[in-house]
Amino acid sequence: MIRDRTWSSRLTDIAILVVLIGITLTCILPIWYTLALSLSSNSAAAAGQVWLWPVGFNVNAYTQILKDTQFFGSFWISIQRVALGAALNFVVVLLMAYPLSRTSRQFKARGVLMWILIFCMLFNGGLIPLYLTVKGLGMLNSIWALVLVGGAQTLVFNVILTVNFFRNLPKELDEAALVDGAGPWYSLFRIYLPLAVPVLATITLFSIVYHWNEFLYGLIFMTREQYYPLQTYIQQLVVSVDPATMSEDQYRRLSELSNRTLDAAKIFIAMLPIMVVYPFLQRYFIHGITLGSVKE
Amino acid sequence: MRIKSFDKHYYLMLLPGYLWLIVFSIVPMFGIAIAFQYFNPGKGIFHSEWAGLEHFRYMFVLKDTREVFFNTLIIAVLKIIAHLVVPLVFALMLNELRKLVVKRWIQTIVYLPHFLSWVILGGIILDLFSYNGPVNQLGALFGFKPTLFFAQAELFPWLVVGSDVWKEFGFNTIIYLAALTGINPALYEAAGMDGAGRWKSLWHITLPGIRTTAVLLAVLSLGNVLNAGFDQIFNLYNPLVYSTGDIIDTWVYRTGLLNLQYELATAVGLLKSVIGFILISVSYFLAYRLINYRIF
Amino acid sequence: MKRKVKAACVVALSAVLALGACSSGSETATEPATEEEQTQSTEPADPYGSYAEPMTISIGMQVDPTDKDLPAGDTPLDNQYTRQIEEALNIKVEHAFTASAANMRQKISLAIASNDLPDAMVVNAVELRQMVAAGQLADLTQVYERYASPEIKDIIEKTDGAALKSVTFDGKMYAIPGVQADADGIHIMWIRQDWLDKLGLEPPKSMEELATVARAFVEQDPDGNGSADTIGISGPQSGDGKMYANFLESKNNLYGFDAIFSAYGAFPGYWLDDGSGKPVYGSTLPETKEALSGLRDLYAQGLIDPEMAVREASDEPIINGKSGIFFAPWWMGYGPLTNAVKNDPEANWQAYALPLDAGGDFRPHAATPSTEFVVVRKDYANPEVPMKMLNNLFKNEMENTFDPSKGGPGFYPLRVVFAPSDEIEFTNKAIKEVLAGTKTKEDYVNDRPYKLLPSDLENITKIKQEPYDDWNIGTWTPDADWGAWTRAYSIMVGGNPIVDTEMERINSLIYEQTPLMESRWVNLKKMEDEMFLKIVMGVAPVDSFDQFVEDWKRQGGEQITNEVAEAIQQ
Repeated sequence: MIRDRTWSSRLTDIAILVVLIGITLTCILPIWYTLALSLSSNSAAAAGQVWLWPVGFNVNAYTQILKDTQFFGSFWISIQRVALGAALNFVVVLLMAYPLSRTSRQFKARGVLMWILIFCMLFNGGLIPLYLTVKGLGMLNSIWALVLVGGAQTLVFNVILTVNFFRNLPKELDEAALVDGAGPWYSLFRIYLPLAVPVLATITLFSIVYHWNEFLYGLIFMTREQYYPLQTYIQQLVVSVDPATMSEDQYRRLSELSNRTLDAAKIFIAMLPIMVVYPFLQRYFIHGITLGSVKE
Repeated sequence: MRIKSFDKHYYLMLLPGYLWLIVFSIVPMFGIAIAFQYFNPGKGIFHSEWAGLEHFRYMFVLKDTREVFFNTLIIAVLKIIAHLVVPLVFALMLNELRKLVVKRWIQTIVYLPHFLSWVILGGIILDLFSYNGPVNQLGALFGFKPTLFFAQAELFPWLVVGSDVWKEFGFNTIIYLAALTGINPALYEAAGMDGAGRWKSLWHITLPGIRTTAVLLAVLSLGNVLNAGFDQIFNLYNPLVYSTGDIIDTWVYRTGLLNLQYELATAVGLLKSVIGFILISVSYFLAYRLINYRIF
Repeated sequence: MKRKVKAACVVALSAVLALGACSSGSETATEPATEEEQTQSTEPADPYGSYAEPMTISIGMQVDPTDKDLPAGDTPLDNQYTRQIEEALNIKVEHAFTASAANMRQKISLAIASNDLPDAMVVNAVELRQMVAAGQLADLTQVYERYASPEIKDIIEKTDGAALKSVTFDGKMYAIPGVQADADGIHIMWIRQDWLDKLGLEPPKSMEELATVARAFVEQDPDGNGSADTIGISGPQSGDGKMYANFLESKNNLYGFDAIFSAYGAFPGYWLDDGSGKPVYGSTLPETKEALSGLRDLYAQGLIDPEMAVREASDEPIINGKSGIFFAPWWMGYGPLTNAVKNDPEANWQAYALPLDAGGDFRPHAATPSTEFVVVRKDYANPEVPMKMLNNLFKNEMENTFDPSKGGPGFYPLRVVFAPSDEIEFTNKAIKEVLAGTKTKEDYVNDRPYKLLPSDLENITKIKQEPYDDWNIGTWTPDADWGAWTRAYSIMVGGNPIVDTEMERINSLIYEQTPLMESRWVNLKKMEDEMFLKIVMGVAPVDSFDQFVEDWKRQGGEQITNEVAEAIQQ
């Protein structure tokens, strides 16, 4: 691209850069603020004196978390859930996307099967039948409830993304495979899989992020706190309680716990894994989303 | 070309995925029956008395349901528009940037909020906008009186849309950026030689070049007209802003699970699913007709 | 291949059928043990008798996951309480589910809706009614007759029938009602006496004086830190904070404006007699409009916490010494005050039965004695087990068996409070007598239902110094025993206004839902809460109150009023 570099053009360039950096800063500042809050003294945090720099610097909140076995238990459950959920999602999506990316001529049932997926994505019977189903399968308090119920809800979207990616690959691939006499399994694993790295990385990232961030099913399917995933654990820290239904001793305990710096520290730690993971997958998900959702 | 013997392999590949969906998505749909019953938990879904359409009739006379449908529509439509426009503008600005390192950094950072959960961001945002939080402190420097942002019903939808745009705009630029790189650089060179300036190139080359992408995104988002974002609103709202901020999903959750009005909640949820299904079908055919694109 | 898909469908369908079977309650119950076979007998049984065979009971229980009170090695399932129950009664407790206070309601709803009930749990009035309607509960009439200990019976029956009425449906008793002290329903004014003294002010007696004092608290920098960061009057917090207690949740409303409403003669949320014997809903009366308008003025002038209804925790500014006035019941030592005093030993929070109404009277609304109910699943083979556990709890609380430092009483399975209606007033007076030397501890040995009285009398001199007729914070030594101080400060400072003030208590005509309320009340109440908050916070004009009254009547309020009229006829 050749453009004339006049004086006014340069000024525009600078203006654009300033605006872009300004907007970019807004994406970091809230996280920075949380970090500053977590490193401040409790009283400064409660009085709203903390802004972008810790006031009364200390790491008490973090040493306190180190002693909190429930926090780490939940952290570990979330890690397990993410690992299982992402792995299962990877395998199942890959297997489903290949046949569904065939044309209707190659695979007659495709149209119907696709609409069934859309139906599953949009309709649900509500939480109570879901709870009964999970209970009937003996999965209450099991990590599989979190993996399978959440996974089923994001499955369809990931399949559609991958199907579209496959369909955007050159048609010649199939023809070449046919000429070689390769069956479906061969062409899926030997031809499609190596080319599908970007989209598979993308849906894996989506799955990781989903399973890490989801909180409601932890609340519904786990009957005890020690089975809560991390986001559920954090969610209950932030929810306020109706004092009218509380007994006095519960109330006292709760008020001793209202602790903004500690909450900030927990929130910050909960953000860390995601912040560390996604930049490394960036190259892939850009490619995967681009090819999976829109063809030019 | 269709090879019959492949079909059984295709079905085998699809088996795990559809089994998963049958157990965790289709089976729990038996709960939809609750919408047509006088549901008695003691008797269960299979033995409760039938109510016909009574709950639907009550739903339509209730001021609440009209309100939540209206709120959902407003918030979702505003979000759809903002999600189309803001990332486009940002992508165009980013596209003007010549320093690649800066561009890469900006991209990485603006993707961050997309990956964080609303449990976490909700906590941070409420804190930032609290009465003596940073936003009000900043305002005070310019002589504004402190405001309780999240207590004001007329502000709430804007805050919801604004914070959602803030969370997602970076991630949504991905598709536009891909479309932008798809434009043939020779076009710009030719325009440059003809003496076209930055604005002219933008108007005559860039925008037409991504028009298809923009139309496609608009059509696709039709399916989201009733999705205003449960996680976000659930973690941000309070009774003061119910009148403008309560959406179908949050209302169904509260009504069904916390207020024990299962039938009404299921009925409203069902209506939402039906409308969503219709909208997706419409956008499927629109995309096919308008730009000859198959969504799935 | 098609056959395989079909097979998968069959598997899934049979799962559904299995669910159906579960949800119709076919869980096998444990065999009734030994002496409990003749369940039809009405003869009194031994309330404390142990079982020959070990019994198990699975319960839903509220557990705070961040509670660190239990000694190392103990768990919510294995602690001094559960061990004592096993030893004394041969009952083994299991958890069907646990949840924090914030999630408990949701867990109970899920259990009711899915008919996946624990053998027993503690529920509120709305849940109780729902479960009775669904036919999920065991009839406890016989159990109560035969097994309830004399002390518990005494406490339940001394509520003028209110406690029994709240659990009786069609003549059958479907729950054991907890009974809380009347004082929990009286909302008084807590105020920073040290700020008053510093600014040379008196406790505000009228609404005008309240505005004056609150203005001084906001404008005259009572905490002396040089910045205008103090709050006059605290308000309800976001989430479930309420401006006033109502007939369904009639007590323990923290940081509401109950006393302000009653100073206007308004009792929103209560069912009142319109003077001709007909019921009328307090929120729709002109007095309420007047009170709302008064609150609106206070809010507009910045005298009420500008962050009311949005603040996550209203106790925060109180603990941090930033708020000067709030309204709440007597037990605020258990509330924010322990931390407030730990933060600032000079924070002299005192309580008054103020402000007064136009006639110079303090006329608070009063509460129902029962808000928590122990219920038992219909098919549970030994419905008397929970009753025995409650008997055992009360007996051991009287005998002081448990050590609260090894886990608070909340860890007792199925715990509900049984307190004599006048517990606070009685204890308050007794402590004064003992401090004054007019009576001794031994004079009270026969007042067994006042189960904490002996330890209260024992501990008082550790933490309260002379002069014994002055209750300002300087005369207390909380460092000697914070636990004892918490209770004593609440009973004395919070109890004094109740003991010393002649007050006419306003009761609601009913404290339960009527049938139509089950489907309509949530929406009506939502409308009320929103409208009133908007009026107070200046978002809606005062006159929108009239529109609210009309809407309320039209959207089912009128029919519900008729139902209430029928209910009080019975």
